[in-house]
Amino acid sequence: MTALLEIRNLQKHFPVRGGFLRRVVAQVKAVDGVSFKLEFGKTLGLVGESGCGKSTLGRAILQLQKPTGGQVILEGEDLTAASPARLLEMRREMQIIFQDPFASLSPRRTVAQTIREPLEVHHIGTPAERNRKVEELLQVVGMRSNVLDRYPHEFSGGQRQRIGIARALALNPKLIIADEPVSALDVSVRAQVLNLIAGLQREHGIAFLFISHDLSVVEHVSDHVGVMYLGKMVELAPAKEIYRDPRHPYTQALLSAVPVPDPKRKSKRIVLTGDVPSPMNPPPGCPFHKRCPKVMDVCSKVVPPVVDVGSADKPHRVACHLHS
Amino acid sequence: MSTALPDATAALAGGGAQRRESLWSKAAWKFRRDRAGMAGLAVVLLYFIAALGVWTGLWATSWADIGGGKWEAVSATHWFGTNLIGQDIFERALYSVSTAFEVGLVVAVMATLLGALLGAMAGFFSGRFTDEVILWVMGVLDSIPFYLLVAAIAFALEGNPYAMHVAMISTFWITTGRLVRGEVIKLKNLEFVEAAHAIGVPEYTIILRHIIPNTLHILLVQSTITFVAAIKSEVILSFLGLGVKDGMSWGLMIAESTFEVLAGFFNNFLAASVLLFGLVMAFNMFADALQDALDPRQVS
Amino acid sequence: MSGQPLLRVRDLVVEFSTEHGVVRAVDRVSFDVFPNETLGLVGESGCGKTVTGLSILGLIPSPPGRIAGGSIQLDGRELVGLSESEFRRIRGRDVAMIFQEPMTALNPVFTIGSQMTDVLRRYKGLTRRQARAAAIELLAKVGIPAPDRRIDEYPHQLSGGMRQRVVIAMALSCGPKLIVADEPTTALDVTTQAQVLEQIVKLQQEFRMSMILVTHDLGVVAETCHRAIVMYCGRIAEKAEIGPLFGAPRHPYTVGLLESIPRVGVHEKEDLAVIPGMVPDLLHLPRGCRFADRCSRRQARCEEALPELDGDDESVTRVACFHPYERMS
Repeated sequence: MTALLEIRNLQKHFPVRGGFLRRVVAQVKAVDGVSFKLEFGKTLGLVGESGCGKSTLGRAILQLQKPTGGQVILEGEDLTAASPARLLEMRREMQIIFQDPFASLSPRRTVAQTIREPLEVHHIGTPAERNRKVEELLQVVGMRSNVLDRYPHEFSGGQRQRIGIARALALNPKLIIADEPVSALDVSVRAQVLNLIAGLQREHGIAFLFISHDLSVVEHVSDHVGVMYLGKMVELAPAKEIYRDPRHPYTQALLSAVPVPDPKRKSKRIVLTGDVPSPMNPPPGCPFHKRCPKVMDVCSKVVPPVVDVGSADKPHRVACHLHS
Repeated sequence: MSTALPDATAALAGGGAQRRESLWSKAAWKFRRDRAGMAGLAVVLLYFIAALGVWTGLWATSWADIGGGKWEAVSATHWFGTNLIGQDIFERALYSVSTAFEVGLVVAVMATLLGALLGAMAGFFSGRFTDEVILWVMGVLDSIPFYLLVAAIAFALEGNPYAMHVAMISTFWITTGRLVRGEVIKLKNLEFVEAAHAIGVPEYTIILRHIIPNTLHILLVQSTITFVAAIKSEVILSFLGLGVKDGMSWGLMIAESTFEVLAGFFNNFLAASVLLFGLVMAFNMFADALQDALDPRQVS
Repeated sequence: MSGQPLLRVRDLVVEFSTEHGVVRAVDRVSFDVFPNETLGLVGESGCGKTVTGLSILGLIPSPPGRIAGGSIQLDGRELVGLSESEFRRIRGRDVAMIFQEPMTALNPVFTIGSQMTDVLRRYKGLTRRQARAAAIELLAKVGIPAPDRRIDEYPHQLSGGMRQRVVIAMALSCGPKLIVADEPTTALDVTTQAQVLEQIVKLQQEFRMSMILVTHDLGVVAETCHRAIVMYCGRIAEKAEIGPLFGAPRHPYTVGLLESIPRVGVHEKEDLAVIPGMVPDLLHLPRGCRFADRCSRRQARCEEALPELDGDDESVTRVACFHPYERMS
């Protein structure tokens, strides 16, 4: 079976200009050689701390930021090589929902205008059919159709997030990239939106790339989880496996750092020292070696290869010298 | 969606406090509560009616006629008296209102349009060639002294009555352009613009539909500021002999009055400067209130 | 908890006037903070937890806000009604604040050293050299590597976690009895958050201070606090020691919050329990219990009357609910 989405060695580098004549003096390697597959109707969770490149990866997949290298293959077709006209057609298949419910909706456009726009751009249906579709979409995300003529500022964060989801659903995409969709929401509203997303997946078979810094949320929604550090995917495994048996020291530290709402659980916490290095001059060798509690000599010299430490039906990829 | 529906219903029930209002009606509500702003607006409207009357020929038709003697005092026939050659000062002052509005409106509208368009282009393509060129033009125009530029343009246009307008438009758009450029750079990185890209909305549609409407508050406030600046400049230029030639302007009246003031006759001078002061003051109050009402940091 | 409380808050009411009317952000809130104790103030945005914290330092922006009633006593001294200059003498020396965004607490144009020594010289009367030594020592205490070098850097040269440590060092510099920390780790990454939280707990014990930790994160509360107060719509819903609060929560809102958090290590890809609806508008509060229309245990009485906290100051847990969950065991 072919995957819905396949990423091969994707790279996104940003040039840093400086000095006289604004020459390129360095490259920020925001995404540096990431590969994975996403099956139809499944969810891949992508976790990592700020600056690890997870959001850039999402935008590079959608071609909102042109990748510097590598391939993005959606249903067998390479998006990086697609013509602008073909890319426009492919946009029906993939959509995005955003973190900030206050920045993701145009403040001077009504709910109806916002949700109808994708239908207009892709010339789907007659105006009457579009209006019916908009009402249908509002119902799907759990809002009444009497909000059609309202403006975004009249809604709460959770409601705005629902409107953003309705816009993403308008084109019946097969893939939705969810970039921190619940990080800005309060706990009780967060659960409502997470359930909505899970329901959409069950009923419409949408695949999600779920980007978040919150490991507990990612575990809850994902089938597979990928952990990113400084632009690289350091571990990728089925969600259950990665939480039961994390192999990469960074994943282990990340998991142990999550505060748990249970005072009885006295976790043995792995507290990392130092901060995430700048992606402008990442350390040589393994990007994590300067903070790694299990660092070895080889780590600062050789970039660890990706190896599969799982079984045939449960692939568990990890990039660490401990396992190679 | 069995899980989603009930809580959304509750959400809407709980949101009963939400008033049906757009950002504009909210701003209008705020503006109406600003007494100084409303007073300013009322005065500006009075001036505007005066200007309309002049344009439609209802009054101030005989501003150029010599209908009295030299320096007549205030009377029922000549409300503000007459000038050196016996022309009615009230008629001339009233006629000048239309000149001020004509210059103000033309310059404000054109400078704002130009600023919006070039500013939006520079902002949207920031860091690229288009942006560099527009910024360079702004810098060059900024570096020429204003009155020198007017004189140069007037000379180049050989007495064309619109030389003054052209000069003002070509300098006044710069401030608006810079402000719009900054706002657009901020807006184009917001997620709703990214969402439009993700949907596949063409670039020029994004600029027109998603970006420029979100700069309207800046454009509105800038156009009122430009309007006031244009009126003041018109008076100064006319006073210097670089502005209005064939019509009447407060600047020309003040220029005339320089001899009269020495002779102890103040009517011409007072009429022109009080009317100018009233209009500029009222417009500034109006512009301030408008700025407060439209400030997106306060309208949430 | 035994002994005299360090901070006594009684029937605190804070109101804000808005375009559309007066909003009561904090409504008759009472609690104590004992010496060497960490008290958590938890709740969702708009529940009044931050406003409560700010009012202790006299930092309510006024206008539009004002303390409309109640009393705040620090070591027996009444704080409500103090003038700004009197508050300025208390801030830093007796009570210090740590904000969510460290950049707002640091002045970007001065080195961290000059900002720290300023405070030390003003409040403690140290000489320039003594102050510098004390600042370096404090920076070392909060876990900043190479403090003698870092002290001459500017805030923008530090990472987010380092900046928050500097802010903590500054808060500690005059040896306050109470620290109010408002979401101190919310802006930080998970691994950095773990470092900073660990440091805060360690320092709180070492300096024998009391702390009020304002947060929305129940995980942070469980790991750092001794007692916690759950707030909803400006009122206290439940007040308890950490063990009972997480082990046997009584208020339906607390129960709902705890159930709606996905937990690491409990992998179930099914729907989370949800608190339906949303927080009511503070301008249009219901007559009865503010949680009633989202509550599964609602009965007629809940829509009629506002429940008060049960029990008294001696009770282990207190809950403001007509039909609370009963304590097991």
